Amino acid sequence: MEHIDTPGTIFNIQKFSVHDGPGVRTAVFFKGCNLACVWCHNPESISPRPQVEFYPDRCIGCGKCVEACPTGAQRFDPITGAHVVDRGLCEGCLSCAETCYAGALAGVGQTVTAGEVLARILDDKPYYDQSGGGVTFSGGECMMQPAFLHALLSLCREHKIHTAVDTAGNVSWKWFERILPLTDLFLYDVKAADSGTHRRLTGRGNELILENLSRLSQQGASIIVRVPFIKGYNDGEMEAIARLLAPLTLQKVEILPYHKLGNSKYTALDLPNRAPLAQVPEPELLDRTVEAFRALGIPACHT
Amino acid sequence: MTLNTEPVPLSPLTAQRIQNLHDDKLEINNHKIHIKGNLNIDDHGYIVYEDFKFTHIPGHESGLVHGCRNLGQNLRKFLNEIPVYINKNSALATCWIGFFQDFAPIGLAPEDRPPQHIREIIQKYGIIQSGIGGMNHLCPDMTIGFELGWGGLLEKVRAYRTQNAPADTSFYDGEEELILGIQEWIRRHVEYANTLAENAQDEEERENYREIARINEWLIDNPPLTLREACQFLAHFQCVDRTYFGGGALGQLDELLRPFYEQDVSDGILTDEEAVWYVASLFFNDTHYSQIGGLTPDGSRDMTSRMSFLILEAMHDLCIPANIAIRVHDGINEPLLRRALEYTVQDGFGCCYSMAQGIEEGYAKNGYPLELGRMRAKTGCNWCAVPGREYPLQDVTRCNFARAFNWAMEDLKQQENPTLEALWELFQKHLHIMVDCFKEGYDWHYEVVSRNTPEIVDNLFMHGPIERGLNCAQGGVDIYNLNIDGIGLATVADSFAAIEQRVVKEQRLTWEELFDVLERNYDGAEDVRLMLKNIHRFGTPDSPAERWAVKIRDDYVSYCKGSLTPKHHLMIIPGMFSHGDVYMYGNVTKATPNGRKDGEPISHSSEPDPGFARGVQTFSPSLKANAVAKTQAGYGNSAPLHLDIDTDLLSSSGGVDALVTLIHTHNHMNGTLINLNCLTKQKLLEAHEDPSTHPDLVVRVTGYSAFFASLSKEYRQQVVDRFLANEPA
Repeated sequence: MEHIDTPGTIFNIQKFSVHDGPGVRTAVFFKGCNLACVWCHNPESISPRPQVEFYPDRCIGCGKCVEACPTGAQRFDPITGAHVVDRGLCEGCLSCAETCYAGALAGVGQTVTAGEVLARILDDKPYYDQSGGGVTFSGGECMMQPAFLHALLSLCREHKIHTAVDTAGNVSWKWFERILPLTDLFLYDVKAADSGTHRRLTGRGNELILENLSRLSQQGASIIVRVPFIKGYNDGEMEAIARLLAPLTLQKVEILPYHKLGNSKYTALDLPNRAPLAQVPEPELLDRTVEAFRALGIPACHT
Repeated sequence: MTLNTEPVPLSPLTAQRIQNLHDDKLEINNHKIHIKGNLNIDDHGYIVYEDFKFTHIPGHESGLVHGCRNLGQNLRKFLNEIPVYINKNSALATCWIGFFQDFAPIGLAPEDRPPQHIREIIQKYGIIQSGIGGMNHLCPDMTIGFELGWGGLLEKVRAYRTQNAPADTSFYDGEEELILGIQEWIRRHVEYANTLAENAQDEEERENYREIARINEWLIDNPPLTLREACQFLAHFQCVDRTYFGGGALGQLDELLRPFYEQDVSDGILTDEEAVWYVASLFFNDTHYSQIGGLTPDGSRDMTSRMSFLILEAMHDLCIPANIAIRVHDGINEPLLRRALEYTVQDGFGCCYSMAQGIEEGYAKNGYPLELGRMRAKTGCNWCAVPGREYPLQDVTRCNFARAFNWAMEDLKQQENPTLEALWELFQKHLHIMVDCFKEGYDWHYEVVSRNTPEIVDNLFMHGPIERGLNCAQGGVDIYNLNIDGIGLATVADSFAAIEQRVVKEQRLTWEELFDVLERNYDGAEDVRLMLKNIHRFGTPDSPAERWAVKIRDDYVSYCKGSLTPKHHLMIIPGMFSHGDVYMYGNVTKATPNGRKDGEPISHSSEPDPGFARGVQTFSPSLKANAVAKTQAGYGNSAPLHLDIDTDLLSSSGGVDALVTLIHTHNHMNGTLINLNCLTKQKLLEAHEDPSTHPDLVVRVTGYSAFFASLSKEYRQQVVDRFLANEPA
């Protein structure tokens, strides 16, 4: 298959992103993740399937979704008249969202070709050239769609566009080997040092993640490690993470403070918020953490 | 010599003076809102004197002030009667008190109003600004005044009157009357400053008034020699210029003031701090448009000087509405650009950014040398002009594409088998009728405006009018470029795209049903309205709506450029600029198939509508910027990009770097102008709810900046809508 025809599922293209690597970038968010971090601020990214978000305040009660839904997942309560989405019946076909012009039902996730994504990436090439930016493949876990990612990286290389792969690293090393020659920068998440803690917070242990990170470092890849700081969940991991990272060759370590921008998405997807105690860390706490990293010779900063 | 780019630390005295000017401005503005209600224009800077009344001398049987001589007599009388003003914290005297036309009847005489057939088209298409009788919108060359002073200008008028010996002396009579009036008005400031000096509380204040008196006395007859005198000369000019039909252009301000600054510094009589105070005092006086930076005509160097930085400092320290543009090109002085952006992030408003590539190279496409294009200074809401040499009537017409579309739909309704192709042809037909009306109207304007409302103030600062005895609107200068501004591009592009998708391709709606819901103004058809609205709208890359936008732009531009005006063969330059008039024109535009109801605002200039981004593409500044860049008219007139960026997001990381990239890239993509606000959502929403909570909030509305509290609710809503549409979903 030609690179441009390679299909994949994404849920967002964010242009003019200044938080995902150097310069001004286009961030392409892949759908599907093999971790399930309790604080995840992109809960719509976890499932690899398309999903429906529901915003009841936008519903005008036209009933078109009820007609369109093949499984009966959309209905109006005969007594209260309220619009109900039965998640147990919904198969994610998005027929309802296509008919919902009011925007109460919104499809999350779209299957596209690498060529289509490339066209959107190329729209902003002058911004990358001006700023030393490029494209960042993120997610979800972009490395769970290796063929699609490889196709996009190849196309970007052809067009001389700087590429960054934002990954949690919980995939087979062979997939890293495949994209390593095509990737200019890795944004590599480290969420906990202790594997048990990591399992508790993300659903998986971190052995594979740390091994892949170590191998990437040995192979001379450009790496920025990103450490989410979720006050109330992984505060206690910071020192140990710093000790783990100290021997590696890293461009930078960024401490990313937790934010609450994703909370409304949980409601729209009828998902429970699994990190009710998560708090935004104070700047002083972040400063102290950065200092602790720097004390070990790690070029750290926080955003 | 290395250019000093450092900020200027202010002594407590100067800092206090500038802070007091800021505070006084807020008080003056509150008073203005109280008396006049909301103003949807620049703040300007005039001071309301409620009790002042003026009795004009009629110059026409209709009772109008009419013709150059009578106008000069009236302005002289007006200048002799208005109150004089000196703010004790200012380095300069004077203020202006309101538009002359608010005190005396003036305009086209009944016999010079446009002929019936033009009036009918104007009426049919809801054309509120036809360009006929349009005033100002040209940029004077202030070096003419700096060289001659008012005394020298008077001698020049008299000398050319003698040399040309015209049969009708009205033109020179009027110009002479005006200058005499200005000199008499300045003399009253001398007397007033001396009186204030006598009654001053302390020596510092007394000394300031004495200096103001001395400077004003000198300037009655003589050209300015120092920076402070030059600023005072500009203040005199801009008060009179603004009084008469709201003229508002100063030109390349840094280059105008640089020689005075350098001379004063070399003479040891000026510090940077004093220079900042003088310029801040000038900005307190009025918000005339000016430019800093940009290339010299030969393109060999950037004009940024220490004076450019001092102008930025003055704007930032005073922190009231200002209209300063930076000309952006690849060789721009980067510290100047970055400083301007830092101040925008800090203050929430600041400079606008005028793009060399789109402005200068676009202008050259009209057949002018690029060198001339580089001389065009950004000196209006959206527009540029060659100072002193060009009559570029811009921003005085609005060609509402959506009205042409309304009529096309009306005609299509009569056809048996409506098609999209037929609709397009009908749209073209009506659009072309409108463009022809503007062209014919401009011929009419050219014939009549000079004998009614000559450019009596700006004529003095143009190359040609005095020398030739001709008003600059009619042969006084060498370059004529009459602009037609298209508006409502997205409204029409989205309407075509909605019909193409929902009626033609998907057949979810028949033509009859479409006509019916539009006729009913979507009453009882909210689902249909939303269906039509929720397509991939203009702004979405590679969308059908974008292709329609480009097609409409191409047709409009080629028709504008396809011929000169029919009678006098004057050059037309198409542009796209709506100012804030989208409500006014929306009021006269029926429901459109993009889901817009009768009377709702149409879209701005060539901008996508707020909220256009949907699906996997979320809003980003570049998404909007690319759409605006792609649909420029392309001949050197600006179609602005408005961006309201959340300060909270920007300050988190690399904010200024990102804006620098945005600005340079917009230039490379042939954009023309960026108007930028940095706001927080909380502050904006609070101020919208109750403007008195943030009386000092300044926003860039559309080309001009204003106190948010001065805007009507509708105008405030425009800024709020724009801002909220940028929010992440």
